[in-house]
Amino acid sequence: MNLHRQLALLAFAASTAAASVAQAATLGYIYVGPEKDYGYNTSMDIGRQYVEKSIAGTKTLHVENIAETAEVEKVMERMIKQGGASIIFATSYGYLDYAIALGKKYPKVAFLHAGGLKTGDNVGTYWANSDDAMYLAGMAAGAASKSGKLGFIAAFPIPQVVRSINAFTLGAQAMNPAATTTVVWTGGWLQPPKEAEATNSLADAGIDVIGEQVDSPMTIAQTAEKRGIYMVGKDVDVSKLAPKAVLTGASWNWGPTMLKLTKEIQAGTWKPSHVRGDLKDGSVVLDPFGPAVPEGVRKTVLAKKDDILKDKFVVWSGPIAAQDGKPVLPAGTKMPMEQLESMNFFVKGVVGTVQ
Amino acid sequence: MADTSLLQGLPASALRSAAPLLLVLLGECLTQRVGRINLGVEGQMLVGAVAGYGVTALSGEPWLGMAAGAAAAALLSAVYALLTVAARADQFASGLAVWMLGLGASAYAGSGLVGLRIEGFAVGAAGLTPTLWLAVALVPLVALWLYGTRTGLAWRAVGESPGAARAAGITPWRVIVAGIAAGGLLSGLGGAALSIDHTRSWAEGMTAGRGLTAVGLVIVARWNPWLTLPAALLFGLAEALSLRLQAGGSAVPAHLLHTLPYIASLAVFAVTCARLEGGGGPAALRAVFAR
Repeated sequence: MNLHRQLALLAFAASTAAASVAQAATLGYIYVGPEKDYGYNTSMDIGRQYVEKSIAGTKTLHVENIAETAEVEKVMERMIKQGGASIIFATSYGYLDYAIALGKKYPKVAFLHAGGLKTGDNVGTYWANSDDAMYLAGMAAGAASKSGKLGFIAAFPIPQVVRSINAFTLGAQAMNPAATTTVVWTGGWLQPPKEAEATNSLADAGIDVIGEQVDSPMTIAQTAEKRGIYMVGKDVDVSKLAPKAVLTGASWNWGPTMLKLTKEIQAGTWKPSHVRGDLKDGSVVLDPFGPAVPEGVRKTVLAKKDDILKDKFVVWSGPIAAQDGKPVLPAGTKMPMEQLESMNFFVKGVVGTVQ
Repeated sequence: MADTSLLQGLPASALRSAAPLLLVLLGECLTQRVGRINLGVEGQMLVGAVAGYGVTALSGEPWLGMAAGAAAAALLSAVYALLTVAARADQFASGLAVWMLGLGASAYAGSGLVGLRIEGFAVGAAGLTPTLWLAVALVPLVALWLYGTRTGLAWRAVGESPGAARAAGITPWRVIVAGIAAGGLLSGLGGAALSIDHTRSWAEGMTAGRGLTAVGLVIVARWNPWLTLPAALLFGLAEALSLRLQAGGSAVPAHLLHTLPYIASLAVFAVTCARLEGGGGPAALRAVFAR
């Protein structure tokens, strides 16, 4: 081959290589609720923006308010066919079966589902365990409560929520062994009037610190601030809305996990699996302390956080007793994964029904 | 001690839950009195909530927000009026269309408002705020106006029989449009009371069916403004109870407690319909169903 042809081939190869490197992926994000809900969906959207900024040239498509019905399949398909998305983030639990079905139809597209327990050839899941952060937040709550009575406002008694309540209570009891947590169910993920009234009811019952797990902590935070009681947030940092009331919180940090998965998929090294983050890898963050948390308590909580990060302390280790006092986990043992993922009982000190 | 303070706080809690509903209920009562059933109050309430919240956040004046909410919802109710009066479209379809319009418009307008902080109204004695007093004060005002004034009589006449009213010199369509607008204003006040006062926050679809509940509760209130207060209180009390019982550590499953407001309303509804022939509504309204 003469030099001319060699140079031409080289130029052609270089331009093709450059094109494939410069061609960043299009990502599709689907949210079950409003993306500006100041809660769960916002946390997923923050992750999306993180990935968009981190990889130059990345384009993201995002659609909100897609119910967990067959509609989501159509939305995902539109993103793939018309939007050119090669990675789909299905950010709500109820999207799993639709993602797996569509995954079979589009084997070249990668599907990442939040919180699922099934995978496919091109469908993986990602989630984060917030129990450690809820335990630490519970410690701050237990220390801040003068009455020893805590409260928790939540949507549905699913295992994730039950675990949060239990972790919160165990943490509080580490600072005050007599601490109790009264649970109020609102029956829906986004019910601001019920959340406001639930906060008022708990405050009337002499409860001075509230934890929560609903779609957004903003209504509860603002009502707590109005009533002069404290609260612990979740999903996003809500201290701006309630600067006096918020002690701390357990916030999501999906960005790094999403970025890592995106990079693996683009590099071709991704294998579908259940990716689970936690406090240790930074997928969950303990929010900065509010003004009501004294220095001594901060030191104690941060020391415990350090123990958790160094595997010197495990939240779900015995002895743990159920609401009625019956031992559930003997001293020195750790709770097995199946029992953890299907938790349907409250620990001792929690007041309320788990149905 | 916890039980007594929970009980002590129950009336205020019931009032707080009932106040936004009471305002919408009064509005829909008037609309149905002129012979129109407006399913769009849910959308009107949402538009009132977002407008009220936005204006309060911008201006810092909660009463200005209430006025803005009322105006915004009245504007949306004009769509319903155009559809059912000018275009003579089906009332249910028009109401549903207005509901959807209000739902979408409020979500769009409100996306920038989520997470904003407002001061709202100052909390008065026993945890009660001005919007509660407004709602309660409007009940006798509306009732006395409907039953004691000539315009009130004209409205009731149109609701019974537009033809007979026309013969008496009343222009039915003017009255009907006024009735729809009154419903709009009041449902907007109700929505604004919900976002500015009760929750001090805005979230998409935050009314969670209260507007539609009002459409049903009008029957429980027998289209009588006086009875809207006990009807709304019944609902508010049941909702407050379902939350307070849990806060007090009751062993009743929460799912059952959440059905309390609806079961209570259904029970009164059943008794009402059993006792009165056809439910006892304005004749022109009944004609909408008896097609």
